[in-house]
Amino acid sequence: MSKIISIHSFRGGTGKSNITANLAMLFAQDGQRVGVIDTDIQSPGIHVLFGLDGGDIKRSLNDFLWGRCAIADAAHDVTPTGDGTVAGRIHLIPSSIQTDEIVNVLREGYDISLLTNGFRNLIEALELDVLLIDTHPGLNEETLFSIAISHALAIVMRPDQQDYEGTGVTMEVARSLHVPRIVLVVNKMPPSFDAADVKKTFEETYNCGPAHVLLHSDEMMTLASRGLFVLEYRDHPVTEALRSLAKTLQG
Amino acid sequence: MTTKPAHVLVVDDHPTNRLKMSMAVQNLGHAARAVEDGRQALALLRLERHDLVLLDLLMPELDGYQVLQAMKQDAELRNIPVIVISSVDEMDSVVKAIELGAEDYLPKTFDPVLLRARVNACLEKKRLRDLEVEYLAQVAELTRAAAAVEAEDFDPGSLDLATLGTRGDELGVLARVFERMAREIYARQAHLKKRVIELEVQIDEARQERQVRRITGTTYFQDLRGRAGQFRETLQSDEADRSAAVPSNGRRSIG
Repeated sequence: MSKIISIHSFRGGTGKSNITANLAMLFAQDGQRVGVIDTDIQSPGIHVLFGLDGGDIKRSLNDFLWGRCAIADAAHDVTPTGDGTVAGRIHLIPSSIQTDEIVNVLREGYDISLLTNGFRNLIEALELDVLLIDTHPGLNEETLFSIAISHALAIVMRPDQQDYEGTGVTMEVARSLHVPRIVLVVNKMPPSFDAADVKKTFEETYNCGPAHVLLHSDEMMTLASRGLFVLEYRDHPVTEALRSLAKTLQG
Repeated sequence: MTTKPAHVLVVDDHPTNRLKMSMAVQNLGHAARAVEDGRQALALLRLERHDLVLLDLLMPELDGYQVLQAMKQDAELRNIPVIVISSVDEMDSVVKAIELGAEDYLPKTFDPVLLRARVNACLEKKRLRDLEVEYLAQVAELTRAAAAVEAEDFDPGSLDLATLGTRGDELGVLARVFERMAREIYARQAHLKKRVIELEVQIDEARQERQVRRITGTTYFQDLRGRAGQFRETLQSDEADRSAAVPSNGRRSIG
C-alpha cells in the first residue's frame, strides 16, 4: 500500500529538507516510485537538493492550490540520470519561489482540504509507493494536517535546548493524532558525544521507540545542499544511518 | 669504515691466544675484553654491550659452536657479529660455524691486515644493522602512536621525540609533524570533553503539557483527528480498488 511519510521539525534549521531529499533517493534506489511534496510554502528549498533551478519550476504546489492545474501537472521528475543504481523514480512537487506567490499564500492562506484530494490524486496518477511530505517547521493547521494523515512521521531535532520542549510537544500531539509510526531523528549530533548514550537519553526523555542519531558531518556541510549526500557519499556512516532510518519509516 | 672504537669480546681457552688477539684488537683502536670459555662469554654478552665477538671454536665445557647457537636463539645477542678464530681449518668446521651464524672465519695464525679488514667489515655491517633496527623501531613507535590517535587513546607524552623528533631524515620530519598534529587533536578533544560531560535534556514538563493541551483541545484538532482517520481509510480503499483493477499483465490502470 502507498505510504505517506511526513518529515517534520518543531524549529527550522534541523536539516529536515536534506533528510527528506536523501530519504527519497534511498527509496528510489530501492526501486520505489517516490513523490516528494514541499509543503513549506513560506520558505521552499528542497528543489535545490534535486538540482532543480527556480527557473525550471513550470508548475508548483501553489498553482494547484490556486486551482490553476491538477496536482500531477506540478510534478517534476527529478530522478538522477546516468546513475545505474536508481531503479525507481522521484517526482517532486515543489513550492513556488516567486515572492509574490509566497506573499499571496501568507496573506490569503489556502484551503487545506484541497490537499486531501490532492494527495490521493497524486498517489494514483503517479502510482506512488511513497509520498514524502517536507513540512514547514512548527505546529499550525497545515503541518498538523500533514502529520495527521501520515502513516509514519519523522520528527527531526537537533541536540539543542531550543528544540527539546517543542519536540516533546510535537511528539505528544502526533500521539494524540494516532500516527501509526513516530520516529525521532536527532540530527547534527556532535561526534564528541557517545551516539549510544545520546540515543538512550532521548528515547528515555521522549518515551519513544528507537531514535535515529545522525552525526554532524563536515562532508554534509561542505556539500551545502548542492546535491544528494547519499549519492555523493554512498559508504559514509551518515548514509548508513539514513538507510536505517528509511527502513524504520517504511516499517 | 667505522671510526668509533668498538667493544670486542675475545673468547679463547688459551691465555696466550687471548692476549695476542686482545692486543691485535687494541692496535686497531678498539676496546677488548677477554674470557676463557663459552659460558663466561654468554654471561658477559648479556651483561655488557659488545659490538663484535672473536670466538675460538674448540673450547672445553661450551665450545664455539654452542656459543653461536645460544647467541642465535637470543634476541638480544643474535645481531652481534661473530668472527670465529680457530686452528681447525677444515672446510666443514668453517661451514658449520657460518651456518650457525658466524659472519666470518680467520685462522689462529692470522695476518693483522686481514684481521683489520674483517673486523672493520663486520663492525660496519653491525653499524648499518643497528641503524636499520633503530629505524624500524621508531617507525613502529610512530605507527603505534597513529593507531592510538585513531582509537582516541593517544597520550602526547608517550612519543619519544627526544630520539625520533631529532632525526634529520624524512622519518624525523614525519615524527615532528605527527606529534604537532596529534597534540592539536588531543587538545581539541580534551577541550570538547571538558565542555560536554553529559548531554542534559531539560524540559519544563508542565509547560510542555500546557502547550499540548492548547493544541489538542481545539475543535479543529478534534475534527482533524476524525478526518485523518477517514483519509487513511479512503487511501486504503483506493489501493484496494486499484489492485482489483490491475489487469493480468500486472500493470495498474491510471484513472
